[in-house]
Amino acid sequence: MLTKDYSYTIPGVTEHGFKQQLLRAVRFLMPFLIIGGLWEVSARAGWVHSSSLPAPSAILGSFWQLAWVKGVLWKHFISSLYRLVVGYLLATVAGVTVGALLSLRPTFRLLFEPVLSLLVSVPSIAWVPVLLIILGLDSRTVIAAVFLGAFFAITYNTMRGIETVNKNLVNAARLMGVNRVRLFFSVLLPGSLVSLITGLRLGIGYSWRALVGGEMLAAMVKWGLGTMVFQARFWNDVSMMFVGIIIIGLSGYLLDRTFLRWLEVVTVERWGMLATQK
Amino acid sequence: MKNKKNLIAAIPVVLFLVGWEILARNKVVNQALFPPPTVIAVELADLFFKGLPVQSELLNHVGETLVRVGLSFSLGLLVGMILGVAMGLSRLTYFFFNPLITMLMPIPGIALAPLFIVWFGFGNETIIPLGVLSAFFPVVYTTVAGVRSVDRQLVQAAQIMGASRWKVISSVYLPWAAVYVFNGMKLGLARCWMTVIAVEFIAATNWGLGYLILSSSDNMRADIVYGGIFLLIVIYFVLERGVIHTLENRTIARWGMIHST
Repeated sequence: MLTKDYSYTIPGVTEHGFKQQLLRAVRFLMPFLIIGGLWEVSARAGWVHSSSLPAPSAILGSFWQLAWVKGVLWKHFISSLYRLVVGYLLATVAGVTVGALLSLRPTFRLLFEPVLSLLVSVPSIAWVPVLLIILGLDSRTVIAAVFLGAFFAITYNTMRGIETVNKNLVNAARLMGVNRVRLFFSVLLPGSLVSLITGLRLGIGYSWRALVGGEMLAAMVKWGLGTMVFQARFWNDVSMMFVGIIIIGLSGYLLDRTFLRWLEVVTVERWGMLATQK
Repeated sequence: MKNKKNLIAAIPVVLFLVGWEILARNKVVNQALFPPPTVIAVELADLFFKGLPVQSELLNHVGETLVRVGLSFSLGLLVGMILGVAMGLSRLTYFFFNPLITMLMPIPGIALAPLFIVWFGFGNETIIPLGVLSAFFPVVYTTVAGVRSVDRQLVQAAQIMGASRWKVISSVYLPWAAVYVFNGMKLGLARCWMTVIAVEFIAATNWGLGYLILSSSDNMRADIVYGGIFLLIVIYFVLERGVIHTLENRTIARWGMIHST
């Protein structure tokens, strides 16, 4: 009886779930459709200058041109992504290492924590003018800015995370004769993951900002989303700017919501270390 | 105890600066790229004293940036709080604005700068709207969260006792949401400051700390670039510690909602 009941209700539940998701998606898209519609109408009717505020259809057309007819959009995108990945990965490796070293030696922590907390609050784009002088006007400056953007946030949060790992766990592992490397990878790293992931998320946000800003300011960078938006100004091509800005916004959003969120779900959330908000 | 800690924290900074000074003076590192800290300090002082009886060039740059940040931060805060409360109280407003805010918030201010330059032109016309936007998003986001988390029983209790709608908003919703709003303010100030400086890099004409730093970078004046960035760190620290912290201690910490630090 119970089993029958159970199997009967499940399809109903999933259908309900699907419907709800559809409803949510429609509700999410509605404001965009309303604003897009009004915008399109006012652009067609000539109430706004199409040169400064092109209609959504014109922006879509420009996207089509850039993405498939000319195909330059992907080259811009890949160049940006490449710089982000290189700078960010270096920052992750360096940040976790330095953060771990700082947290394991109380003297280091006493010495460096205040400086570090001050450096975290420096806007990552502020490093760009210094880097322009030291490294020149090319891609290296942008990668270095990406690196610095993420490095301090990751270092700081790794350090804070390891500090808050339950000391009993550490002692228990030590008593069981675990060596230092094993201790780090099996106890300290998983134990500090909540804080570390916070650092990684903050870091990727800062990196993304530094990347876009750096690409705009480094004059010899030829490819990149920031470069694309910046160059569009010289041709007064507002549609191209819109395409660039939308891609920048979406990528920034997705970077945070996809792989870092995934990392959070498969580790700390599954281990029950994080109070799930929903 | 606190003094001792500060003293210890100063050690690496002092060592770093002394090491830099020695390396630069002995030409181990290129002086054009890494001018010794004393040279940077002298250069900053020079800039400060330039045209002093009437005005000071350095203070003009800093003042211009602070005016921009102050203006755009207060505007962003005001609009953010109003819309935040509206979104927290009305479902329709929430469903309309929430998707827009979610999608627009992650766009870096500097990415919008070229667009705003085309629309409004160089200078404050571009810098201030972008500053407003950057302060607005964190504030509205946290205000909504705060208002939506209000204990329904408190609202009902106030209503039963005959409080008007405005009274309920000002005496129940806003104090409850204050902790959230303060968080938003902190984030908003940080982002506003960052965005104003960044947009000054590309859109400012003649004045502003960002303008000073980038134009010096173009002229290969490393000393002024370092000096400017040093100032940038100090000013942000003072803003955060001085303004936000004092405000926090006087309100939500006194109300017992957070521990004062």
